[in-house]
Amino acid sequence: MQEGRILSAKRINNDLLRGVFENPLRYWLIIGFLAIFVLGAMGAAGYMINRGLGVTGLNRPVYWGFFITNFVFWIGISHAGVMLSAILRLSKAEWRRPATRAAEVLTIFSLLTAVMMPLIHAGRPWRVIYWVFPYDFSRGIWPDVRSALVWDPSAINTYLTSSILFVFVALIPDIAVIRDRTTGIRRKIYGVLSLGWRGSTRQWKFQAIAGILLSALILPVFVSVHSIVSWDFAMAISVKSWHSTIFAPYFVIGAVLSGVSGVVTVMIFMRWIFGWEEYIRKEHIESLAKLLVVIALGWFYFFAMELIFGIYGQEGDELATKHMQMFEPPWVWFFITFIVCSFCIPVPMWLFSGVRRSMFWMVVTTILVNIGMWLERFIIIVPALARKQVFSGTWYTYAPSAVEITIVAGTFAMVLLLFLLFAKLFPLIPIFDIKEGQVLRDEIQVGRRKVPAVIRED
Amino acid sequence: MTKTTILGLYTDANYAAEAGEALERTGLSNKDFDFLTDTPYPEGALGERHSSHRLYIFPFIGALIGLTTALLLTTATQVSYPLITGGKPVLSIPPMAIITYEGTMLGAILFTVIGIIFESRLPSMKKQIYDDRITEGHIGVVVTCDESKVNDVEQALTQAGAIDIKKENV
Amino acid sequence: MLREAIKLSVHGEEIDPKAVASEISKGFFDLGLVYKSTLWILLIIFLIGVVAFTLKALDGGIQPNERYNWGYFSAISAFVLMGAGSAPLVATALRLTKNHWRRPFSRIAELYSLVGILVVFLYIPLLIMLPPIEGRKTIWFTDQFPGVPVWWDFLGILFLVINGIALLVISGIPDLAQAVYQSNGKKSTFLKPMVRWWKGSQHQWNIHRLSLISLGATYFLLLILMQSLINVDFVMSLIPGWKDAIMPAHIALTGIQTGIALVVLTAFLTKTFGNQETKKYFPMESFWSISKIMLALSLLWAYFWFAAFMTLWYGRMPVEQTILKTFMFEAYRWPFLLNVFFSFLLPFLLLIWNPVRKSILGPTFVAVSVLFGAFFMTVRLYVPAFGLKDVVGHELMFVPEAIGPDLLDAAIIFGVLSGVILIYMLAAKIFPMISIWEFKEGLLYQRVRPFMRGNFLVVGRPE
Repeated sequence: MQEGRILSAKRINNDLLRGVFENPLRYWLIIGFLAIFVLGAMGAAGYMINRGLGVTGLNRPVYWGFFITNFVFWIGISHAGVMLSAILRLSKAEWRRPATRAAEVLTIFSLLTAVMMPLIHAGRPWRVIYWVFPYDFSRGIWPDVRSALVWDPSAINTYLTSSILFVFVALIPDIAVIRDRTTGIRRKIYGVLSLGWRGSTRQWKFQAIAGILLSALILPVFVSVHSIVSWDFAMAISVKSWHSTIFAPYFVIGAVLSGVSGVVTVMIFMRWIFGWEEYIRKEHIESLAKLLVVIALGWFYFFAMELIFGIYGQEGDELATKHMQMFEPPWVWFFITFIVCSFCIPVPMWLFSGVRRSMFWMVVTTILVNIGMWLERFIIIVPALARKQVFSGTWYTYAPSAVEITIVAGTFAMVLLLFLLFAKLFPLIPIFDIKEGQVLRDEIQVGRRKVPAVIRED
Repeated sequence: MTKTTILGLYTDANYAAEAGEALERTGLSNKDFDFLTDTPYPEGALGERHSSHRLYIFPFIGALIGLTTALLLTTATQVSYPLITGGKPVLSIPPMAIITYEGTMLGAILFTVIGIIFESRLPSMKKQIYDDRITEGHIGVVVTCDESKVNDVEQALTQAGAIDIKKENV
Repeated sequence: MLREAIKLSVHGEEIDPKAVASEISKGFFDLGLVYKSTLWILLIIFLIGVVAFTLKALDGGIQPNERYNWGYFSAISAFVLMGAGSAPLVATALRLTKNHWRRPFSRIAELYSLVGILVVFLYIPLLIMLPPIEGRKTIWFTDQFPGVPVWWDFLGILFLVINGIALLVISGIPDLAQAVYQSNGKKSTFLKPMVRWWKGSQHQWNIHRLSLISLGATYFLLLILMQSLINVDFVMSLIPGWKDAIMPAHIALTGIQTGIALVVLTAFLTKTFGNQETKKYFPMESFWSISKIMLALSLLWAYFWFAAFMTLWYGRMPVEQTILKTFMFEAYRWPFLLNVFFSFLLPFLLLIWNPVRKSILGPTFVAVSVLFGAFFMTVRLYVPAFGLKDVVGHELMFVPEAIGPDLLDAAIIFGVLSGVILIYMLAAKIFPMISIWEFKEGLLYQRVRPFMRGNFLVVGRPE
């Protein structure tokens, strides 16, 4: 596990603040490239708001299409933060150190993106203010607490607020590092943000407690968020194949799979952009890959149970929907792509150490996983809606329009763009965490071998 | 009697820990000095004072406030503007439980963060003795003592290997 | 004075690695008076249970039509499968995650695989009592497949038990060898030829390690598969119209929770009533660490339950409402409430407090609570499922009456539980309850060392 060198504090500061203080050309080229997609998406959204939802492929009975699929997908990606940061912090895994902040930041930006999707999907987003926010209005109608669509904002808002606070608390010591290296107005701003942090033993003690306590508190929220999003579907009895008790854990574990895969992709991307080979090492990616194998197997169990119990009831309409999802074109191609990309290719590959320690293959496999997971949500939502009505005369299909494709592509660019902009202001790898890892490194002599060891506080 | 705050700067944590021992030998207790570091050290490694706290009250108070707020919100809004759907009861525990749960967790987390910032004695309003080199890997030993002890403290810090010493009157 | 020492924790006792085998093996081959007396009492209660079983069998017979009489027998059998079946997984899973604190629990968990022999015998009459799958929904989908479900369920349980015993034997051989060579006596002389081949060579240890990983992985897969299959065959498919995809996973999770509880309770009893020399092998830190997993599992239990409840409740479909009334809110309300209290509420309310987690009694008390909770869960699921006479139908249209236990049921329950403890106590005399090789391995990589002005535990990571 300890393949890296011991580095001085100054060297760690210089390396990890490279993103904040340096301006490599490739960084700005990537920002520009992403900005094009984001602007395109904004234009498409503006066009759609101006012209109405008719410019999308949505139509009776498929009222949820690309936008809602994308909403569920980004909620899924947001689960990376808590999975890696909270669970690995609680289990005191040493290899979490370079991954935690990237995961937490990815959580925040993917949540923000996810929240945008239902707003865009509403067609007239300002109307959401009437529907969701609990203030009196002369219409005499309040948000219906009994609707799963109202549970969503309460859960997402809680998770978003918690994640932002979690990131901020852990960022305070690193903000102090930037404060001490800057002058003028920048020093003043970072000084305010650091709240006067000095690094006293009491402050570090509470930083450690914060990590554990907030992790423990945020974990139940993390589980509840995607469960509640899954209940947008599971509560509905009219749409066949949705009303299943397993949707909550199935969606959560799928979210963890796509989220952790997303973090791996982003970490390798960070390693390349900022030259962080000393900090994001093969051992970290290998550990993440092993974790992914476990998560993928767990996901597969829930996928199999969902499929088996969809067929278990032997209900004609549900069997027909399942048949359509798995065997009828065009859905069959999406289904095959989904299962191959999210499980059949990556998981067997991750069993090999050579793949786990290869940055290239890990990027490829984790991107494949997310392609598969995006399609999984699409296959759950759209085919079931296409056959929603009892009479076949009202059956229809769905094809996304250019507007929807542009907006969805834009969300991917937006998350990456926000991520890179964050890197301009704050370090993406927690500086104090890396330094702590160095302090806690030790060795034990066993026979003729020096075994790497860790100093534990309890 | 006026108090003086002295900051001794060290390049190595072991020297800083030795400085702590030297200060104790001058008659000071570990309540009179503290360490400023750029990374957390295992608790007790530097010989620092044990700090007690009541942080655990904050999440409970926050959870209680969150639970009450969410419960009131869901109950009061539905009772004030009843929306009867399909003949089902207006006040229904399972859906209210979900929003109440989220409110409880939000309250707990918000108050936990407030508690952490408060117990860390942040935000620090007054300017306290500090050196930018601490975030570059140096260890600071901060001592608060009477004027009469300043020389002893300075000597102890220097003998332990301090590369710089700063003083401020409190 | 600060100096390096070999210890399991900072405040623990110093351990001499050379003395580990002799300390753990001390008294291994002896059956003291208290031990023998306990065995006899357990045997008597077990035999009373067998007599009660026989009387019940003679009264109505063991056949599908008489199934409604055997609800409590099916519940206690499921409880034993859940707990004793999942316990070996605790050893495997903790070994795979390479925790340094797992070592006191490993062998204790593995020994429960021998209780699987009892499980096989318990399930034979139960499988005979399963009605044919014709005309009802099952996870097998067709009755044309030969042997479904009886033979496949039986083979699954059998393979699970064989896998578990193989795991125990492979894990235990090095320790049995050490115990045999540490002792002199008739029993050790008898066992010497069986362990003579174990030399402790590097090759043997490599095979040992790979075998444990492979057998552990297969055990895990088989356990999850069998828990899912058994619970669908014995509960869900006996209730017309009940379709609940999360139920097998919920029960598998409860099994893991129960397995951990069994292991923690057994570890506590071993520490309390075992030799003075072996008490130091059960540090508080191990109980503290496993209590965090217990807290997580109690929360997960509640989550899985709520996911099922919310989906079924919200849909307002008649059959789902009837199922909720049967299993939770009307007929079996009290077992359900006790289940929730002991599996979730009490563990959660206790384990959120750090002083409770950071102790030995705290996690043990919670373990006892979890065991009660798991029992009530099997009662509220299996008794109504077995009690329903008409399983061939589209949907359950009425809430059946609750069935209470009679004297014979109570005798069978106590008999089965005594059988479990009896087999375990006998198993503990086949392989040492504390894993000698694992402790010795751990002590290679653990030191308590001075670091600046404090003493800290240093844990090596050989991988």
